Amino acid sequence: MAAEDEDIETIVCANPECRVAETGRCVEGLELDACPHYGEEPDYDEAEGEELEEEDVDQSITLPSAETLSPEDASEILRRGESRVIAVLGPSDSGKTSLIASLYDLFQEGPVAGVEFARSLSLHAFEHACHDARAASRRSVPHMNRTPIGEVNFYHLEIAGVEDRKNLVLLLGDRAGEEYRAAADDVSVVAGFMEISRADILTVLVDGERLLDGGRHNLKSDIIMMLQGLHEGGALRPHSRLALILTKYDAVIASDHAERAFNDFNLLLGDIKLFFGNTLAEVESFQLAASPKSNAVSRGTGVSELLSFWLRPVASPRALTSARPEFGRAFARLMPLDEPVEEPNG
Amino acid sequence: MADQSVVIIGLPSSGKTTFLAALWHLVTARDIPTALRFGGLGVGEASHLNAIARRWRDAKVQDRTAVAGNRLVSINLLDQTDNVVRATFPDVPGEAYRRMWEDRDCDPEIAEILQAGGVLLFIHSDTIRAPKWVVDEVELSKELGLDVPDNDNAPWHPRLAPTQVQLIDLLQMLRMPPLDTGPRRLAILLSAWDKARGEGLTPEMYLKSKLPMLSQYLERGADGWIFQTYGLSAQGGDYDPVEVSARPAAQAEELRALDSASMRIQLVGPIPETHDLTEPLRWLME
Repeated sequence: MAAEDEDIETIVCANPECRVAETGRCVEGLELDACPHYGEEPDYDEAEGEELEEEDVDQSITLPSAETLSPEDASEILRRGESRVIAVLGPSDSGKTSLIASLYDLFQEGPVAGVEFARSLSLHAFEHACHDARAASRRSVPHMNRTPIGEVNFYHLEIAGVEDRKNLVLLLGDRAGEEYRAAADDVSVVAGFMEISRADILTVLVDGERLLDGGRHNLKSDIIMMLQGLHEGGALRPHSRLALILTKYDAVIASDHAERAFNDFNLLLGDIKLFFGNTLAEVESFQLAASPKSNAVSRGTGVSELLSFWLRPVASPRALTSARPEFGRAFARLMPLDEPVEEPNG
Repeated sequence: MADQSVVIIGLPSSGKTTFLAALWHLVTARDIPTALRFGGLGVGEASHLNAIARRWRDAKVQDRTAVAGNRLVSINLLDQTDNVVRATFPDVPGEAYRRMWEDRDCDPEIAEILQAGGVLLFIHSDTIRAPKWVVDEVELSKELGLDVPDNDNAPWHPRLAPTQVQLIDLLQMLRMPPLDTGPRRLAILLSAWDKARGEGLTPEMYLKSKLPMLSQYLERGADGWIFQTYGLSAQGGDYDPVEVSARPAAQAEELRALDSASMRIQLVGPIPETHDLTEPLRWLME
């Protein structure tokens, strides 16, 4: 009987977190006879517990966010040290997030273009951007989310090993494609595009998949008109360099229309140089497969070359050709005579 | 008596408590020469250390779960010139550090702990989560003749981030307000080194190969960490699992058969291989 009594004895512990009754083990890892709480009734008041929990939440210390930076935070970084603003522009679905995610993901495996990862204040944002191409998303085909409409945000990436210089902060501006397109409809919106007016490099994406279908003419027009809007809105600066990117290179080379697409891309490049070449410091083209849908092309193809372009020394602003005074005429050589020194009286 | 603090950080199950258990055994057993020696029990609370060291000697997996709360344990140690150094270690569940990465906050108690002394960072060398990509996984499935996973579309969660990203963020947070206290020494302990050493890499090479972005972050020194990398096997092999019904581990039996439990400990790194796991502490307190 005694044994049976023991069997049905309720096992209790004063520690409400302890599940000794179910597991037979002390949550503190102690021997049962050494635990001061074992065998004691829990002094547990539900209302009090909730109160304590709320108090705990209130007392927690907030740590720095790891999301993208606001324009204000980005401005603060720009004031603080050596940094470079990269504006990534293009119509919706042209691959902006894919490019940003791909650059970050290449650093996960080692140095890129001879430079190394130094730190980042946007690790959550980068990880989120990478998610739909990562196996953890449980997708069968990589996917990239659209940037939501709203204020521009900046991904922060500090890199090291750029020639002999100190670390360099890259601020990668990410804004919804629809908003850039609106610049062609109303140039007044351009005044709000701080990432363009402060950009060292404009990275304009040309959706390779759209060059393969019937939308190719509109695509070319959209890009030219977007740049025209930015130009008239005063956002293109003489020190800015422009990288024109053919994205989804893997889809282009797999298509029967590959040659036509490359040709269209080169014509667009020629037009941009013709229309805006005098406004910008430099225009160069790249082909990118940031997040290819198969292994036919390596992940991040072209990203390393693009990074090297971003890291080139900043072009010094073109010297203003202000009118210098000319002194060719004889009249201009006339100089005032020195005033005679007056002798002091007396 | 000089007071020194060492912060022990690491994600869940990275070997923090096992290290403390092995350290307490090593200094109290006094059976092999160590850089820092036992300086007495003092008036501190030794019951936690005694309890975890007992499990360690028995070759049983540490059974301290996340809800056990934060503990500050203090150990009196003698340095090479016989000065008593009181080393204080937080034994904080890894979930607290995970919460810092995921929820961007921490308890004030943990914040205070994190602002003291050098840092011991634990990384379980056998459970490093590397980034994996959809394209590679699909290709691998095809090569192996397995079904390609359905397009499930699991939502993003910070917990899915690779190990190196979570650790970089943790270290960055220690160098930003409100936790920043200036440049500090950092000893990286790659735990379960007995599982990793078969690859024939030094701990430094292992870090570079398995955690390349973390290695770039540390080497480039944007946050000024002065760091050294060690490989540590504080258990020596597999221990008996916690579950009562589970079968004992074969390796645990072999380890229990050793005459000196201290001999289970293996430490490699910038120093010749040793059983003395006080070496990283000596370096941190230098």
